[in-house]
Amino acid sequence: MPARIPHVPAWFIAFASAALVLAACQNQGGTSGSPGASAPASAGATESAAANEPNELTVLEWSGYEAPDFWTDFKTASPDTAVDFEFGISDADILSLMEGGSAADIFHFYTGWQQFYVDEGLVQEIDTSKLTNWDKVPDAFKAMGQVNGKQYYLPWDWGFTSILYNTSKVSGTIDTWNALFNQSYAGHISMWDDGPAAVTVSSYIHNYDETKITADQLAAIEAEWKLQKPLNLHYWTGEYTDFCPEVQSGDIWVAYAWQGCYATVLYDQSQPVAYANPKEGRNSWVGLYGISANTESYDLALKFLDAKLAALTCGNAVTLFYYGCANQEVMNAIEDPVLIQAFGIDDPSILESTNFTPPVTQKQRDDWTAMWARVKAE
Amino acid sequence: MLGRRGSLWFLAVPPYLWLIALFLMPLGVVAAISLLPGSGRIDFSGGWPSLNQYQQVLETPAYLRRLGISVGMAFVIAASATILAYPIAYFLAFRARQRATIFLVLLLVPFASSYLLRVMAWKLLLGREGAINWVLTSVGLVKEPVGLLVYSQAAVVITLVYVWIPFAALPIYAALQRVDRSHLEAAADLGAGPWTRFGRITIPLSLPGVLATFFMVFIPTVGEYVTPSLVGGIDGLMYGNLIQDFFTRAGNWPLGSAMAVLMLLAVLILVTLALRLVDLRRVAP
Amino acid sequence: MSAGSEVRRPSSAVGVGRTRVPLGLAYALMIVFLYLPIGVLFVFSFSTNKNLRFPIQGYTIDWYAQIFQNEQLLTAARNSLVVGFLAATVATGLGLAAGIAVVRFRFAGRGLLLALAGAPLVVPFIMLAVALFLLFNLLDVPRSLVTIAAGHSVIALPYAALILLSRLIGLDPALEDAAMDLGASYPTTLRRIVIPLLGPSLLSAWLTCFIVSFDEVALAVFLAGRDQTFPVFLYGQLRFAQTLPVMIAMAVLLMVGTVALTLVAFAIRSRSE
Repeated sequence: MPARIPHVPAWFIAFASAALVLAACQNQGGTSGSPGASAPASAGATESAAANEPNELTVLEWSGYEAPDFWTDFKTASPDTAVDFEFGISDADILSLMEGGSAADIFHFYTGWQQFYVDEGLVQEIDTSKLTNWDKVPDAFKAMGQVNGKQYYLPWDWGFTSILYNTSKVSGTIDTWNALFNQSYAGHISMWDDGPAAVTVSSYIHNYDETKITADQLAAIEAEWKLQKPLNLHYWTGEYTDFCPEVQSGDIWVAYAWQGCYATVLYDQSQPVAYANPKEGRNSWVGLYGISANTESYDLALKFLDAKLAALTCGNAVTLFYYGCANQEVMNAIEDPVLIQAFGIDDPSILESTNFTPPVTQKQRDDWTAMWARVKAE
Repeated sequence: MLGRRGSLWFLAVPPYLWLIALFLMPLGVVAAISLLPGSGRIDFSGGWPSLNQYQQVLETPAYLRRLGISVGMAFVIAASATILAYPIAYFLAFRARQRATIFLVLLLVPFASSYLLRVMAWKLLLGREGAINWVLTSVGLVKEPVGLLVYSQAAVVITLVYVWIPFAALPIYAALQRVDRSHLEAAADLGAGPWTRFGRITIPLSLPGVLATFFMVFIPTVGEYVTPSLVGGIDGLMYGNLIQDFFTRAGNWPLGSAMAVLMLLAVLILVTLALRLVDLRRVAP
Repeated sequence: MSAGSEVRRPSSAVGVGRTRVPLGLAYALMIVFLYLPIGVLFVFSFSTNKNLRFPIQGYTIDWYAQIFQNEQLLTAARNSLVVGFLAATVATGLGLAAGIAVVRFRFAGRGLLLALAGAPLVVPFIMLAVALFLLFNLLDVPRSLVTIAAGHSVIALPYAALILLSRLIGLDPALEDAAMDLGASYPTTLRRIVIPLLGPSLLSAWLTCFIVSFDEVALAVFLAGRDQTFPVFLYGQLRFAQTLPVMIAMAVLLMVGTVALTLVAFAIRSRSE
């Protein structure tokens, strides 16, 4: 006996679908982030920066950062400004979206991609004289945001990359990046799944100039990472999805890692861990904000970026996400011993011995990612 | 009053238009991109068209090996999923019958939660501190917890078969509904035993569903990348991971597109060959 | 009853007769394996644990409470439901149309339509995502939940088509002929005879399409405007350690919600019979 379905009139289905489509389209106006109202711009806003600028901002952000905690100072100072967010999930995404004509006024990406936006005229210089929090940013971070001597980007979040290791499984202290190639940890190593990162590690070990890797050097790098491959448990991609859980369970003993998992494991004490200070120096990556060259809200964007560096907003990145913040006053004011240890705040020279990720050209990116694809595909 | 032939327009034209606009045209865009000489900003003025990207792919044996491995894995996964799904579909069609819908829905509902989280939960169960190891160590079979049972090529195959079975059951179930009770009753009355009835009537009648299932699983699995990245470790990598990396990590769309086009061609050729082996006319009216 | 037949009248054991293959067991095992990880997530959603590790430290319903305070999370979930509904409905409708056309009619582009309907299966989602992104860019189509739904409907269509085709092939055309002989127009025949007969297959197709859309990330990122879908949101949140428990609670809630909705739909259906 064939099952019967209720006789739903066709007009009902058509009506319901049309209603849904309308609902979906409506949402383009106001979304998460706008202060309660669904209208994109409120007439007669009193807090707008310039009289002839629209009182709204669009920020191209990484999913997670649209939470009000990460722009709370701006929200307090300019409650009438509507802030909308567009999202990307990787640096390549963000660049594609900007190249594709995104209407975002501000965009956020990480070191290694600085010059692409400059080359394609997608970003304009930041007038640092208008930023009240600029003097709290260490010079090393300011330099990260410069291309050809011009300040195009504002550094905001940052972190270290180093070797995270389990002290109960590793004898002695790890003080070199070469530990990732150590046979005695076979099956318990994990490298981040990223070609440029592999090139970076090799360049630290062999003292290559990261900005001028030759074809011979790249071939040597490819060969050594192919040899290293069987030593890994896996190449990790998501810090808290397939990396930190394995560190906590004791399956990973030695890994290329950011400080977030280190802080997490220090907090929950699941394993005794240490975060290396390799003789070649740690690596640091920095999150940068740029103002779109096509924005109509330049001054408003500047206000937004300035507010990003404010104590509360910047501090939230530290306490909520275990990321570093470019406002050095905020970093110095940290009292949590776990975070102090994670960021090496009690070691004032740490930033000096740290290697910051340099910008990478398109050709280098292509060569290095192809190299890594060959290593993985072997 | 709309006649039968006239209705054909309303039936055939909308899917055609939709697919041409939202599938063929984008595919054309991808093919065009794959003919770009270099990566970086999409710019068709300099040196287009060029076979650079295809050359790069074809000159890297490792990529082609991975494509071959992926095809092999996809075949095993599709065959296993189809075979294992058959009893489920059979259950739905013949044992559950009136209640089949609710049983079916129960099968599909877990997929309405996040796949990523479910895999993480499985890793917990199978991991060092998980349930399996707890059983093994308390029973005394092993002294130390066994290291992660995941992160291998086998893990990818098992996971994908597991994930595909509920969906694989659907076309088979749909086809099994065509098996008329009266055929089977007549056969039984004529003295055919249950397995004979199954082999001579049920299986042939359900063949369209079985074939549909096999291809439905095989085709997308060749380009699969999510599961290999979650449980594949270093040797469970599939061709789709390479494509994914070129698109989202490297921002190298032309190379990724070329790799995808090659995969498309490979699958097309394989499917065409397979369909030659199976005479569709015997299966459809 | 034919002479000499010892076979039980195959009324409840059709197709298997005396050999009772434990099909129910196969189904039950599948259900157990499917719901085991869900069970784990369910347990953890009520634990005070900050991460997915045993032992359970304590119990709380805080995470569920936090869901309802998290505006972005709720919006993302709602967006996913809207997109899923649209994509599934369009894909199922088009799959049905294409299926009927291919199975019941002979026309010039028949084979091509079948191939086209199945073709999106071959293409990796990321590739279609990039392609549609560029296409929409070129045509100045603003990205929104509708564009995501459009993309999802394309990738879901093959599933709908395959499921419905399997069922349609077995459908006796005599039923439609009879209806038309009695004076019904073809559209009425489709509406009153064919579609009801397809019943559970339509539901399977729709549900499959919904699920394909619901957990999809690549297209959802590239074709999104201002609105995130839940998997994109989840992906972003999982970059950070502290957000895991709330996300687990949400995933469980969404699943439970889906079950509840389908049970309600089923109840309504039974009542209307």
